[in-house]
Amino acid sequence: MSSFLRQLIKTVRTSTVKSGVIANLARLQSTEAVSVKETRPTVRKSDELARTQLVDFGKYVADCLPKYIQKVQITAGDELELLIASEGVVPVLQFLKDHHSCQFSNLSDIAGMDVPCRPYRFEVIYNLLSVRFNSRIRVKTYTDELTPVDSCNGIYKAANWYEREIWDMYGVFFANHPDLRRILTDYGFEGHPFRKDFPLSGYVEVRYDDEKKRVVIEPLELAQEFRKFELSAPWEQFPKFRNAPPAVEEVKTNKQ
Amino acid sequence: MAQPLKKSLKQVKPILSLDKEEARKRVLHLYKAWFRQLPYIVRRYDIPKNVEQCRSKLREEFTKYDDIKDVRVIDMMIIKGQMELKETVNVWKQKGHIMAYFKDTIEPKPTDFLSKFLTSKD
Repeated sequence: MSSFLRQLIKTVRTSTVKSGVIANLARLQSTEAVSVKETRPTVRKSDELARTQLVDFGKYVADCLPKYIQKVQITAGDELELLIASEGVVPVLQFLKDHHSCQFSNLSDIAGMDVPCRPYRFEVIYNLLSVRFNSRIRVKTYTDELTPVDSCNGIYKAANWYEREIWDMYGVFFANHPDLRRILTDYGFEGHPFRKDFPLSGYVEVRYDDEKKRVVIEPLELAQEFRKFELSAPWEQFPKFRNAPPAVEEVKTNKQ
Repeated sequence: MAQPLKKSLKQVKPILSLDKEEARKRVLHLYKAWFRQLPYIVRRYDIPKNVEQCRSKLREEFTKYDDIKDVRVIDMMIIKGQMELKETVNVWKQKGHIMAYFKDTIEPKPTDFLSKFLTSKD
């Protein structure tokens, strides 16, 4: 696998010189169905070689960790995503960091997402960067309000503040975090602002009271009635992308 | 088509406590920790309340959630209460944050007809 990725680096380096040849070679080598070559000047070209290698790498990781990885997918054409069970955060990240042909040594970001209609309403998304192989990967897991996720602070020290942020904004509890407390909201703030059921105006307002000589916190009452805005435009926004391929393509693993 | 609501037992991952008894012990621990810190809090924050008033407020804040029975919800509230205690004791909070528990600037909403009429804007 590492030789594979190294080859990728080489090809990326020399791609300006003989990109056409390599693209042809890649098309011959790849076993997947080759998509139609993009010729429109305003649409981003897809790099078939890089894509095949991402697919192979995703399959490899899914074979290595069949217990935790539930799905491997490619989004936006060239971004690899691993969807894992929430109890597998630590082993999967440890594998991706320490395995010789992964070496995702840098945790770029942890993001959260709230979809209230799902049984596990929160997604926690880890963005990793491999400096060695110049590649990125995204690891997604899921949880709900009351299910703790294991903290990956032991693997990536960068996770400390990111996880505090997720805790503060979404209320996802991270077990074994060394210093889990609020990071963005005010002391005494109630609720988690990034949850979809949190109102845009918040529940309280803060003002300085001249009589009390201190800042007071009072429940907020907006005089405005609830209004429903029609946000969709009557005309088509991106007619060129009418027949665009779907954003998410699933990678077939041996499990399925 | 709306599916009928199924009620079933689900196996869940505990947050802190494994059963009700353990959760109860944790709540009592948290209550005692707050109770012991109250004199220091009153002294440090220069609030216009005495320890007795703070104790009754503490009791009120805890008994407000008497009807919560889910162990995981209790655990989550214990965690948040513990964080609040830490914020209070380390004086990360300020006077306004402590006095926010007492809600002394919030005027009660009018209930009877005449007061509703007198406070109405339009």
